[in-house]
Amino acid sequence: MSRYELVAGLETHVELATKTKIFCGCSTEFGGEPNTHCCPVCIGLPGTLPVLNRKVVEYAVRAGLVTHCEIAGVSKMDRKNYVYPDLPKAYQISQYDMPLCKNGYIDLSNGRRIRILRIHIEEDAGKLVHSRGNTYVDYNRGGVPLIEIVTEPDFRSPEEAREYLERLQFLMRYIGVSDCRMEEGSMRCDVNISVRPAGSEALGTRAEIKNMNSLSFITKAIAYEYDRQCDLLDSGEEVVQETRRYIESDGTTEGMRGKEDAQDYRYFPEPDLVTIRISKEDVEKIRASLPEDPDARAKRWQESFGISEADSAQLLRYRRVADYFDEAAKGLKNAKAAASCILGQMFRRMETEADKEKFETRVSAENLHALLQLLDEGKVRMNLVKSTLEKMLDSGKPASDFLSAQDLEGVSPEELDRLCTQAVEQNPKAVADYLAGKEKAVKSLVGFVMKSTRGRADAQKAEALLIDKIKAQA
Amino acid sequence: MVTHEEIRAIANLAKLQVPDEELDGLTEDMNEIIAFADTIASVQVEDEAYEDVNGLSNVLREDVVQPGLSAEEVLQNARDRDENSFVVKKHA
Repeated sequence: MSRYELVAGLETHVELATKTKIFCGCSTEFGGEPNTHCCPVCIGLPGTLPVLNRKVVEYAVRAGLVTHCEIAGVSKMDRKNYVYPDLPKAYQISQYDMPLCKNGYIDLSNGRRIRILRIHIEEDAGKLVHSRGNTYVDYNRGGVPLIEIVTEPDFRSPEEAREYLERLQFLMRYIGVSDCRMEEGSMRCDVNISVRPAGSEALGTRAEIKNMNSLSFITKAIAYEYDRQCDLLDSGEEVVQETRRYIESDGTTEGMRGKEDAQDYRYFPEPDLVTIRISKEDVEKIRASLPEDPDARAKRWQESFGISEADSAQLLRYRRVADYFDEAAKGLKNAKAAASCILGQMFRRMETEADKEKFETRVSAENLHALLQLLDEGKVRMNLVKSTLEKMLDSGKPASDFLSAQDLEGVSPEELDRLCTQAVEQNPKAVADYLAGKEKAVKSLVGFVMKSTRGRADAQKAEALLIDKIKAQA
Repeated sequence: MVTHEEIRAIANLAKLQVPDEELDGLTEDMNEIIAFADTIASVQVEDEAYEDVNGLSNVLREDVVQPGLSAEEVLQNARDRDENSFVVKKHA
């Protein structure tokens, strides 16, 4: 047990998935040629006026609701002043003392609750590329809407931070407010870290590590910084309050020179924008538009469909998949079959996470439902379902195009009896093996029956009947 | 009372260079401005609720893409450029 306890808090920037920027009609699309998604407002030309995007408010409220926040009835924007080339106006429009959402939380699997202090909306800055002693500036990202989600210093281990971020990422995707692609920078993190003697309530001096965009970097940076600060205290030195940078190549952190001056952002109310008022009715309308609570949904699947915990987590991971599953499984006795079709055959055709997220498939949920309805009614068996689904996935055609009337007839008890007799007569070696104690030999007889019925027979019934017949013969 | 040091700090944040001979005048001006703000702040108001300064709220736009500027237009006043990017001296 270490003598020191880690105390960390996270500030997470999440880019909202709106079509346009927060204060102008420019596209938010990622990856365009530099300075091609810009207009007089987002490059800060004099005389322009920002107008707030309605969707930004709605998405931020959605994010607040799903993290159990209070939604402010009255909110406003403020100016945060600093001079840097990524900010063409020399100020960022953000929220200071009246954020849209506050006092929420996310619960972790170890039972600990991470309190969310606030969620506010703001504009992103432009992108700077430093190279050959110059800085290259692209304002496409300038003005893209962000929410900043600020936690209390409630993290006690790097693993807790990772779980919180994964949960946050899942929730934001699930409610459709962000794709949270860390590699594209649409989710980025600042971490505040301090340590204190175990059992102490007082907070130590903190260091802040800025702008990390990978879960593994964030957890490594926290672990490294914890060790560094413990070593400092152990050797009688002090932790300096400063901004540090994570060095990807060796997993360490270093102080950023030139940031020693305490920042003075001189916040003041943004005079170019008006107050944001959100009525209780508006909040309730937005709440009603949220998808079913993910935990309740997983529980419902487990309890009424008998889906395993692991499978329900897989289905929930991608919102489109969850919705598709619910549509396909609705009213089925064997909803598990729908889960196994999606997680097995359909996922096999989707290589990347992004593919699964898009979940583009040629089989509509309705057509999968119709196929599985036949399974419910006992007209087809699982192996025929699987081969038919493959054909449907290839062609986009419904099951009825591939199943003949004969396929759907099933196998009558008389026919099954006849086929089993035939199997026993035509396979004397398997029968002899079985009688000699090789119980598995009966499987080849079952295979014979399944083959002659093109998979329509009930394998369990066939096996029982075959054993009866072998014993009767002996 | 505002000091010369504070005036220098404020000027520095705003990237302004203030000659020493202007410090006295600016300090005097700033003290007057702050005194005026104090006068406003001293007004007793009963309702603490946040009020819209201009009587407006919720002026919002729909999330619909509008045509912007071409890169040429964006960059037309750039002192230095490389293809479609602005180029500035490297910052710390």
